[in-house]
Amino acid sequence: MNDILRLRIAFQTIKDYWKTTLIIALLFVAMAAMYTGMYPSFKDLLAEMMQSGSSDAYSFLPHADQMHTYVGFLTIELYEIFWLLILAIIIGFISASSITKEIEGRTIDLLMSNPVSRKQIVIEKFIGLIPMFLIINFTTMLTVVAITVSLNETLNFGFLFLVHIVSILYFIAVISIGILISVIFDEKMKASIIMIAILVGMYIINSLSLMSPDFKFMGSLSIYQYFDTFEILKFGQINGAGIFAYIGIITACLLISMIYFEHKDIPI
Amino acid sequence: MNVIETNNLTKYYGKIKGVEDLTFNVKKGEIFGFLGPNGAGKTTTIRTLLGYLQPTSGSATIFGKNINDDIVNIKREVAYIPGDLNIYGHQTGRDFLDYFASLRNREMVLLDELLKIFEVPLDRKVKGYSKGMKQKLAIIQAFMDDPEMVIMDEPTSGLDPLLQQKFYDFILKQKKRGKTMFFSSHILGEVDKVCDRVGIIRSGQLIALEDVEEMKQKRGKIIRVKIKEKIETFKGPKDAKIKDGWIEFVASDSIDTWIKKLSMYTIIDLDISDFALEDIFIHYYEGQT
Repeated sequence: MNDILRLRIAFQTIKDYWKTTLIIALLFVAMAAMYTGMYPSFKDLLAEMMQSGSSDAYSFLPHADQMHTYVGFLTIELYEIFWLLILAIIIGFISASSITKEIEGRTIDLLMSNPVSRKQIVIEKFIGLIPMFLIINFTTMLTVVAITVSLNETLNFGFLFLVHIVSILYFIAVISIGILISVIFDEKMKASIIMIAILVGMYIINSLSLMSPDFKFMGSLSIYQYFDTFEILKFGQINGAGIFAYIGIITACLLISMIYFEHKDIPI
Repeated sequence: MNVIETNNLTKYYGKIKGVEDLTFNVKKGEIFGFLGPNGAGKTTTIRTLLGYLQPTSGSATIFGKNINDDIVNIKREVAYIPGDLNIYGHQTGRDFLDYFASLRNREMVLLDELLKIFEVPLDRKVKGYSKGMKQKLAIIQAFMDDPEMVIMDEPTSGLDPLLQQKFYDFILKQKKRGKTMFFSSHILGEVDKVCDRVGIIRSGQLIALEDVEEMKQKRGKIIRVKIKEKIETFKGPKDAKIKDGWIEFVASDSIDTWIKKLSMYTIIDLDISDFALEDIFIHYYEGQT
């Protein structure tokens, strides 16, 4: 237990990914600045679209009818696509390869020659990936605040903060799924592609459930279903079931990862 | 005292045999050579002992601790030099050693001595290291905290002859200090040079477990002689071989008898040598012993 508390593998993981973290954080700062800053130019056009009813074409996106409002625009353009899908794919891609790349690259041989348990490797790799997201999370949030203030738009910053707090749970759930994939597969690229397929698959399921009532029941299978950024940004309403779902996903994925990795043969 | 004890240790990869019914022990303070050609099961044995592979059946203990239940504590006293070496390329040699030192969490008592013997460019990234440099780094990390035992899989591959000799000297010095080495190799010369006992593995099964010196002695001496007289006149054993004017045969009993017999001829040249481990190994592999 004392060895886990020293978190050496976790710190090393943070060090290994600091450049990647910086690049993604800058990318999302730029993305947040661009989409938030674009709103004044699209405001009138979007309002016209709403009146003419052409926004129906976007019904696969949640709250498409609110696209002309600042909160709706932020939700759809920034949070629903770039945040919940694209960033999840990036974070998922990295976490799904975290242990797999040590197995494929055979650096795990020397790592495991130290007095570290397999459970420790799983937990510390998981912990080591969290700061990456936290940095991206809060730099993006601060960018949205800065641009909103400079545009003189109305946004409840308390609710914005709440979105980025729930984001922590959402992305930790993504990381935990990635870690599970990463202990199961021995090839980095295969693990990362399967992770992307899972995330995109869940996104499609969510979109289908929004578009057609026949598929509504499928929505609960998707992690996107439990995080309504519009509801939080506009009304400060958090989906309590979603919080439990994410905690459940994180717990289950980590437990299964530890048990699976404990019994896995490290191939020659 | 036995440091390693295995009891019918078996590892199958599905239906494919890795190793089967391995029963042997390694004593404290000895260098135990583990011999076999590629694919014989040496690496499978090592990876099973280190807990990388789950045994299919049988058991093993290291320092009295079961490899299935207590592998983390075992690794506090056991280090490893893998055969197919892969080190984090993005780290410098110093970063790598610091990282591993932090994982071991104890004083690196041999680090300075090792860095003097096996010089490596510590501030260069490992991806720019040659194979030999990486191998030196692997040796340094294994010994730096003065472990009780080091398990090595082809530890000298990539080292030049001078460094190989430095490595042999170093492990012999550690042996004198009571440390144990499990030395897996297919280079018979080095096993012959440093090992006290050897286990020979063939197709996943242990076919010999012997003291190196005893093994050589009980096989007698190899006598090679050139005589002035016609070779046909020489009355040697039936299995004597003749090659390039040399008569070669094995003296399995006292060599005194043979020296006396040879004195009846005019000797041009004479060579009496021990059996090389290589000869014994080949005999085992050909199933002739």
